Amino acid sequence: MSFDMNRRLTERMPPLPGAAEIDSVTAGIIRGAFETICYEVATHLGRCASSAIINQSSERNASIMDGHGRLAGLSVGIPQLLFISPMSVRYGLLQRESDVWGPGDVFVGNDPDAGGGHLPDYNVYAPVFDGAGEIVAIQALQAHQGDTGGKDPGGFSIDAREIYAEGLIIPAVKLVHRGEPRRDILDLIVRNNRLPSFPGDIQAMISGTQLGVRLIGKLIERYGADSVRAAINFNIAETERRFRKEVSRWPDGSYEADVWIDHDTVGNEDVHVHVDCRVDGDQLTIDMTGSDERPELVCVWNTFSNTRGYAMAQLASMVDPGIPKNEGLFDAVELIVPEGSILQPPANKPAALGAFHPAVEVAEAICIALSKILPERSSPQVYKLGMPNSVVGFDEGGQMWMDQGVDVRASDASAARGIDGWGAMCSGLGNLILATAEEAESRFPVVNVSREMTTDTGGAGRWRGQPGTLNEKKVLEPVTAMAWMVSRKHPLRGLQGGDDAGPYRNRFQVGTPDEYEIENSVQAQLPAGAVLSYQYGGGGGFESPLLRDPEAVREDVLDEYVSVDGARERYGVVLRGSAAECQVEIDWQATRQLRAELAQARGIDLSQGP
Amino acid sequence: MSYRVGVDIGGTFTDLALLGDDDAVVLEKTLSTPNDRSLAVMQGLEKLAARVGSSLREFLGQVETLVHSTTVADNTLIEMNGAVTGLLATAGFRDELELRRGYKEDIWDVRLEPPPPIVPRRRRLTVPERILADGSVMLPLDEEAARLAIARLAKQGVESVAIVTLFSFLNPTHEERLVELVAEALPEVDISVSHRVLPKAPEFERTSTTVVNAYVGPRVSGYLDRLAERLAAAGYRQRLLLMQSSGVVMTRDYLRSSPVRVLASGPAGGVIGGSHVGVDKGEPDLLCVDMGGTSYDVSIVRHGKAPAESGWNWHHRYMIGTPMIAVETLGAGGGSICQVRNAALEVGPESAGADPGPVCYGRGGARPTITDANLILGLLSDQSDFAGGSFRLTRKGVDQAFREQVADPLGCGVEQAAFDSWRVVNARMTQAIRRLTAEKGTDPADLTMLAYGGNGPVFAAIQAQELGIARVLVPKASPAFSALGSLTARPGIDEERSYLAPAHEVALDRLCELWRELDERAERNLKEAGFTREDIAARYQLTLRYPGQNWSLAIDVAESRGPRDLGFATETMRERVIQRFHERHLADYGHSRLGESPEITGVRLTATVEIAKPSFATASAGELREPSPAGLRRANLGRGFEDAKVFRAADLRPGDVLTAPSIVEEDFTTIVVYPGWRAHLDGAGDYLLERA
Repeated sequence: MSFDMNRRLTERMPPLPGAAEIDSVTAGIIRGAFETICYEVATHLGRCASSAIINQSSERNASIMDGHGRLAGLSVGIPQLLFISPMSVRYGLLQRESDVWGPGDVFVGNDPDAGGGHLPDYNVYAPVFDGAGEIVAIQALQAHQGDTGGKDPGGFSIDAREIYAEGLIIPAVKLVHRGEPRRDILDLIVRNNRLPSFPGDIQAMISGTQLGVRLIGKLIERYGADSVRAAINFNIAETERRFRKEVSRWPDGSYEADVWIDHDTVGNEDVHVHVDCRVDGDQLTIDMTGSDERPELVCVWNTFSNTRGYAMAQLASMVDPGIPKNEGLFDAVELIVPEGSILQPPANKPAALGAFHPAVEVAEAICIALSKILPERSSPQVYKLGMPNSVVGFDEGGQMWMDQGVDVRASDASAARGIDGWGAMCSGLGNLILATAEEAESRFPVVNVSREMTTDTGGAGRWRGQPGTLNEKKVLEPVTAMAWMVSRKHPLRGLQGGDDAGPYRNRFQVGTPDEYEIENSVQAQLPAGAVLSYQYGGGGGFESPLLRDPEAVREDVLDEYVSVDGARERYGVVLRGSAAECQVEIDWQATRQLRAELAQARGIDLSQGP
Repeated sequence: MSYRVGVDIGGTFTDLALLGDDDAVVLEKTLSTPNDRSLAVMQGLEKLAARVGSSLREFLGQVETLVHSTTVADNTLIEMNGAVTGLLATAGFRDELELRRGYKEDIWDVRLEPPPPIVPRRRRLTVPERILADGSVMLPLDEEAARLAIARLAKQGVESVAIVTLFSFLNPTHEERLVELVAEALPEVDISVSHRVLPKAPEFERTSTTVVNAYVGPRVSGYLDRLAERLAAAGYRQRLLLMQSSGVVMTRDYLRSSPVRVLASGPAGGVIGGSHVGVDKGEPDLLCVDMGGTSYDVSIVRHGKAPAESGWNWHHRYMIGTPMIAVETLGAGGGSICQVRNAALEVGPESAGADPGPVCYGRGGARPTITDANLILGLLSDQSDFAGGSFRLTRKGVDQAFREQVADPLGCGVEQAAFDSWRVVNARMTQAIRRLTAEKGTDPADLTMLAYGGNGPVFAAIQAQELGIARVLVPKASPAFSALGSLTARPGIDEERSYLAPAHEVALDRLCELWRELDERAERNLKEAGFTREDIAARYQLTLRYPGQNWSLAIDVAESRGPRDLGFATETMRERVIQRFHERHLADYGHSRLGESPEITGVRLTATVEIAKPSFATASAGELREPSPAGLRRANLGRGFEDAKVFRAADLRPGDVLTAPSIVEEDFTTIVVYPGWRAHLDGAGDYLLERA
């Protein structure tokens, strides 16, 4: 049943009917207006939501679909998630007659078997009608909820075998009917959530969506419904045309890559993602056939909607960033996702953790495969962290608190050709705003001990990956901590001969006789005073480190991104002095000699270097 | 006669506005002098002196206050020529500045470059110490480690040191000790310390602000010292006040510890002036739009005020946490270049600037710009004086540039290409306004537009129409409006202190302690500026939010004038503030949560001094008259080419009513009366555009 539904929800939909003429300038103006409306809607939610994941980390994404459920526009947010609302909205549209859609209605859905991402991602949406009662557009607002009412607080369960363990499943339900909130339904949803901030958050999502509906209504007043429809058609066709034009310049061929996840949450090893990116004229096909199908795998099942979102977010980063993001991207690319695999699971599989892995491995594999022909625009848009170290406790009143662990860190910021990895994360996560120590410690009984970058982590390369941070946190009260560790055995990959990022590591009860490292997954009761220590892996390098300008390596050593030993062993650069003395000099002769030896051993052509 | 003078330095021109005690206004413009900007200030002052028939020395003897908006801090960040800066931070928190809480400006571009590193990692050093969220000391300051870190900074030749430790705004003892240690070891260096620059959470915002402060500080001080010397040498003895990004002006001494507060102060002058104009004319809710040659600045005035807020403000790719009047800046102006890329027409942000400038300046520009489009559309003319009569526009090369670079690639004619460029730049500006109003939760249709800058009045009414705005004000002083506006800014301070507590449990004595501390600071600084306690008007606010929210709303608690009186801080104040917060949340965000108890996040004090201001009041405009135009011109005002009436400003007088389609040529600007609109000159000679 779910595969049939997935096929229906991702069929290529025709343009909207109506033959209004539109010129490219007006179409561009209406596109800009859509983006601005989405920005307004997302900003509204960020301003009034109460959970840190929404208002601090900006995990909130606004998009506009057309009357056929095609993606018509979106705003700033998390790229992967901006692409997943259409399927959920289309599922709602299928029920349009029986659910008696009308002006003033607002809906919500989160069911992965009804187009959803994973259960925490609530997708709230509301239609906009024209004077004739036809839907012109649908405003959607998606945000990650801090809890979903499943067996474990927070929505993630490392031992879930079925989605039922993960919480309340909502295919599509009406929250507001003709402008009137449905108290019974809202009570039901609020009752199934542990967090005291949830009622305020869902209210903010509803009012945000309603704001979008009003603004789209004004746009229709200004330009007329037919012109808005024509603009949507024009912009989607234009995006497809521009994407295909880029593809037509790529060399025809088949570009494959394989990526592995260390293990699922119970220890089944080397979970495998395979992609074959085929270029044929202006047609790009991403074929994921060959990806893992083992039925015994636990928690590493990525929903179909999410697979599409992650694939498209990576592809969008590999073309002109100015191409407008809309349905035209999906029209331009054929995605083959084997039914029953970890990338399009059978019905009722758990979905929470799969939305991290193997979701990001889809993006990583596409990046590696296409880096052979698109070196300029290759940088994996991923995070390889398994899951954040979240800790949960209860205050004196029995009220749950949760520090979700989306803390300031450096992780997975890979190099691109000509640019060292920088900042905290990849570009695509540039709107995921990380939590500060002073805010967290004012709310939760924790102390952030440290989160500095660790010298010599991050992949070396002609352009190097940003090092990873070591995030140490002490809990001041007893807590339950949950973790799932990947990317130790299979860290984030470097590109074009660049080194892989360093391995992730996670230790609990650090500095006590009970200290242990988490090899796979754990749900631990920790006493007051326990220290959790999480080493992020850093970003991958680009091209061989033996090609890096020795002066740049010297600078890196002064800045302690790289040690003197690391410079010698990884970069073949021999240095005298130390960062502590603020004095580092290159021994040019020894460097030339060492690099020649290492190049021979590693098969690197040094003439490609500076 | 005594005068006050406002000075606003822009990219191309340094604008000056002189205000006499008879309320007469004189405007001047002089070319900026980028190598030493104080030169242009002195040249401008000489011009003003000449205009009132005095020598510079005589004139300066009559000036009682000089208010200055300086771009020196902004330029330091743009040109990356700030001080060699080091950072001392809490052990474990070396990299906050570089990690930026994860923020990157473009989520789609993997080739986005990192921001220029104003403090590289080698000069970011840490010291073991730790203070907790309740202000208690978990780990005492390791002074030996601190000395070693300072020695390491010394080896690198630092000129300026930023000091930021966690929770220093609750307990500054460790930062204070670090200040002493740095001063002992490096007596020559500037020191910026976070609990003075920005005493509030969270650490990233505070770190970034303190580091930028350290980086620009010596340059700002150096410039101001030079200007003060030149002024003193020329005979100026009175006070020099500086515009801050918060819109209040303050002395050089006050800004010595937080020069970061002069960042982005240029636009602030215009907004403050705007709020004053609005109040005088009975238009308290304004959308201020300033369109010059390269940029378009938008901001909002509500209830006659332009509130400065601190929040997620990024300037020159660094986070600035001090209060700023929210100004949305867009790369769109008269010099914005029109080009076709990927079959789509783009206008700006690339600009032809002043050199070579638009094609129609006839100074070698070859790329078509918005000013060129306006010339083709007939909104501007090559038959009239331009820029105050300093030159005339030329049509030579304009059509060719549009044909080759816009019309042919789009497959249309030259006039259509110009018209499409005009539409695109309008749409971009309209969207910038929508973004800003979204941030503020305001519907632009509820506002009156105030348009200024050389190009603002050309586009104002058509944008107003798109946004549903019914009225547009164009002040006669619009070309130097920011300089004039700075004369309406009050001297004062606007500061916050962190205080986190559930609103129903708030400790009144602690609130009073914080307000008293701020109040004493205000009094001390304002006295140094020559004002008395009796002059000071204080506004006390608390910032509140629902538990878990990340954004706070500032709620007014009390206002007073003269001697300090904190008698308002009672039990009933607590309930009143909570009630007001619920109401404000409902008004701003469409819902309130009466079932939740909000939390207080901080106290804030705005202490200002009332000053005499120029009057923009609308005296009786006399009898209405519909003047005859100086001529007709073929122009496209949005509905195809037609004959538009052309008026010369010198021919107009208060009471005049201009019907569409009309174009008014003022000295330094052009006002377009679009179809569906009419213009009315009020008693002050300012223009009011209304829907006909």
